[in-house]
Amino acid sequence: MSLEKITNPLNARHWLGHMEADYRYTLGVAGERFLKEIKENARIMGAKCPKCGVIFVPPRLYCEKCFAKLEEWVDVGKRGEVYTYTVATIDVDGKKLDKPQIYALIKFEGVHGGLIHRIGETDKVYIGMKVEAVFKPPSERKASINDIAYFKPIEH
Amino acid sequence: MSVKVKHFPGEEIETKDFREGKVLFESFRPKARYAWSAGIAISRFLEELKNGRIIASTCSKCGRIMVPPRIYCEKCFKPTDGWTYVKDTGVINTFSVSYIASDASRLKEPIVVAVIELDGASPGMGIVHLLGEYGDWRQLKIGMRVQAVWKPPEERVGAITDIKYFKPVKG
Repeated sequence: MSLEKITNPLNARHWLGHMEADYRYTLGVAGERFLKEIKENARIMGAKCPKCGVIFVPPRLYCEKCFAKLEEWVDVGKRGEVYTYTVATIDVDGKKLDKPQIYALIKFEGVHGGLIHRIGETDKVYIGMKVEAVFKPPSERKASINDIAYFKPIEH
Repeated sequence: MSVKVKHFPGEEIETKDFREGKVLFESFRPKARYAWSAGIAISRFLEELKNGRIIASTCSKCGRIMVPPRIYCEKCFKPTDGWTYVKDTGVINTFSVSYIASDASRLKEPIVVAVIELDGASPGMGIVHLLGEYGDWRQLKIGMRVQAVWKPPEERVGAITDIKYFKPVKG
């Protein structure tokens, strides 16, 4: 019997299987409040550290710099800046998109962290571009990060 | 959890909290599909099952007759270099009585899974299969002689299930 090189397992005698690895990811106390603020008040909230003054977006319960409990919440506003971006031409399944989609990491002034979201109403993007969150109408909001439809460029 | 620790700090949630929508969460099902290739030795083993025969691989250095066949001798660290047929009879090496099916559902009648040491193979060599036609499983004993019950040739597809089960035989 010769030793053949087979790179595709479907070309050899094989079994097909599917691993059932379903899971639920809970947002936690801070994540829940963050999304509820977006849904109910169309506000992007950060958690502020009482000891070192750092504001975290997305908010968390504990300061990762000094381990203090974060109980003060602050509205960081709708406006931020593109910190970095990527332009996707395929979706998560590898299928071609009708038109390219810009994804960016958006930073808010004086805030540690940022949000990854879509950029809309434009096909141009650059690092440092000023953007503003566009919220879905209240009836369509589900306490999801997608309650923000996208970030749009703003004049500056 | 230690006996001294009754609960951990933090927010405890239960399954019903998910059902009742008390907590926000994301559900996800990864597309974790796979194809497992049988390899050279097992492919030949399965092809031979279609013919109603059990094939073993042999090692000329240690002289062992190995079933299921493998392409390397794990004792001598060299490729196996021969093939031989073994019988479809053997003895029960060990067995297990299960009232739970593979999908974890309860069974009224248990299934009995056994390791069968096949005649013609080296001692301790055998395959895992179901037992059948044994009457009361309490009568089963380690060392009992068994024989393969094959599916009719036209129903065989080259799978281990081409053998339906092993049944006890006299001897």
